[in-house]
Amino acid sequence: MDFYFGLAQIIGVHTLLGLSAYIVLLTGQVSLAQAGFFAIGAYAAGMLTVLAGWHIVPALGAGMVIGSATACAVGFPALRVKGLMLVIATLAFGEGIRLFFFNFDYQVAKGGVQLGPLGGEGFRQIRFFPENGWSTLEVMLFIWIFVVLVMLLLWWFDRSRYGAVLRAVGEDELAAQSVGINLTAVKVSAMTVGGAIAGLGGGLYAHYTTHIEHASFNILVATFAIAYPIVGGLASVLGTLFAVIFVQGVLIEGLRFLGDWRNLLFGALIVLAMNLRPRGILDAQAIVWFKRLFGGGKRNA
Amino acid sequence: MLDFLQAVSDGVLFGATYALIGIGFTLVFGVMHKINMSYAAASVGGAYCGLLILHVFAGAPPWAVFLLAFAAGGVIGWLVYLTCFHFIPLANPLATLMSTVGMLLLIDEIVVHTTAGMPQNYPALFDDVMLRFGDFSMRGDLMLVFGVSVLGMIALLLLLYRTGLGLATRAVSQQPVAAQLCGIQLARVNALTFVITGLLGGLAGAMIGASVGALSPLLTTPLTVKGLIVTVVGGLGSIPGAIVAGLLVGGFENVFQLYRGVTERDLYVMLLLFVFLVFRPGGLFAVKGAGR
Repeated sequence: MDFYFGLAQIIGVHTLLGLSAYIVLLTGQVSLAQAGFFAIGAYAAGMLTVLAGWHIVPALGAGMVIGSATACAVGFPALRVKGLMLVIATLAFGEGIRLFFFNFDYQVAKGGVQLGPLGGEGFRQIRFFPENGWSTLEVMLFIWIFVVLVMLLLWWFDRSRYGAVLRAVGEDELAAQSVGINLTAVKVSAMTVGGAIAGLGGGLYAHYTTHIEHASFNILVATFAIAYPIVGGLASVLGTLFAVIFVQGVLIEGLRFLGDWRNLLFGALIVLAMNLRPRGILDAQAIVWFKRLFGGGKRNA
Repeated sequence: MLDFLQAVSDGVLFGATYALIGIGFTLVFGVMHKINMSYAAASVGGAYCGLLILHVFAGAPPWAVFLLAFAAGGVIGWLVYLTCFHFIPLANPLATLMSTVGMLLLIDEIVVHTTAGMPQNYPALFDDVMLRFGDFSMRGDLMLVFGVSVLGMIALLLLLYRTGLGLATRAVSQQPVAAQLCGIQLARVNALTFVITGLLGGLAGAMIGASVGALSPLLTTPLTVKGLIVTVVGGLGSIPGAIVAGLLVGGFENVFQLYRGVTERDLYVMLLLFVFLVFRPGGLFAVKGAGR
């Protein structure tokens, strides 16, 4: 049973990663930097619980704040570049953060043992959960409380004016500006929220894996972050969740019997998915179809 | 001072390969306004394919390997076009971006599978030649890499500015609808753009293998990042920009390595990119309307 709890933990954290990219994608910005904010949240929360002895909840909060502050700082120069240049700029930024942590040493002696990040070796012994007697089930529930909260928040955004404004900017910036939407405020705020969610996810990631290093936050992770919302579909937060469950649950775990061939299939399936369903698995049409299926004949407009 | 000049010269010579990769990214962007994220992986893949000839003729000369890598790059380029761009409606930039990422992962995994992840030795020409001017030396194989890359760039520029296909490519990049009205077939031009950039990419991959001495699938990620940096620094859509930027990034990278060591080198290359993004987002040779 512990294995399935562990899988649920992974799905939860990856959903947070995907949601952080989702909210930025709604405004039309493709950000490959989410893995960088994820890393910042991970190292910050880890250092606070291990080196400063904080409880995990304030440490996660601090990780969110630092992640969102960095994202806000990135959001402003990101306004100067549009479209595909932003992809490259955020990719380079994410790689820059990874290289920063590759060179980052901050060790403190605690009880005779040197603890803290050590450059290429990474940050070991992030043992808040084991030291405080949390079981796998408890950690999983803890992670999923945050996932559900974030999903509810984003779902509420979607039903409010903010969500409409975000999508308006994503669809057509010129039209959005012409109705008086402040592009800067919308884009930077979306980036900031994305950074906060990624920071939260990173903090949780650091604690359940107990060992993080620069290679855990590479371009592949950044690619996963945007893959979940794109493959899942941008019409709803459920698309991202669905894509995470599909990728982590079905592809990675379910196809384990394929052994080495699994990795080959992964890239091929992404190409196939994008050719067959360019708008994502759960696009706007699919959601309408689901609603009709469960909503019955109430709406026939 | 001499160390600095040596670092610059070695870096610029190697930077010619970055220039080729940058040209590939920028040409696809200029014509289709899309980024082909799998380009560096396709180049490395083409270089690996070049090694296949050594399985058939064990004593094949290095230039045969390079030639096969060149040709294989073109084939892979066409395959990438077919799987990522031909069937997806062009109005879905996210879908094409994601499918090129999928191809990047696929090509990487195919390489890892067939070589069991082991680095493969790559033949080099003139690696025993060293031109010396006192304490300053220039490696023969790096000069060959530079020379071949320059030949590739000249060939591309001749193709673009002196042939009918080049004219069609430039027309499509400027005004796709008007080009179609003139009878230019969009799908053919796009496919051929990918084949041409694939050929250049295979050449670049072969040259990188020749100068490093070995090929490894780990080359793909840094090459993708540096290639994209070269493209942005040079200006998206500008080929002279990619050439100059490639040499620039190559030179800077080596100088950073001299002063700050290998682990911090890439950080400074990123910083170079950010400096450009802040002060000159269009790149060195900004192309109007390329910021989309």
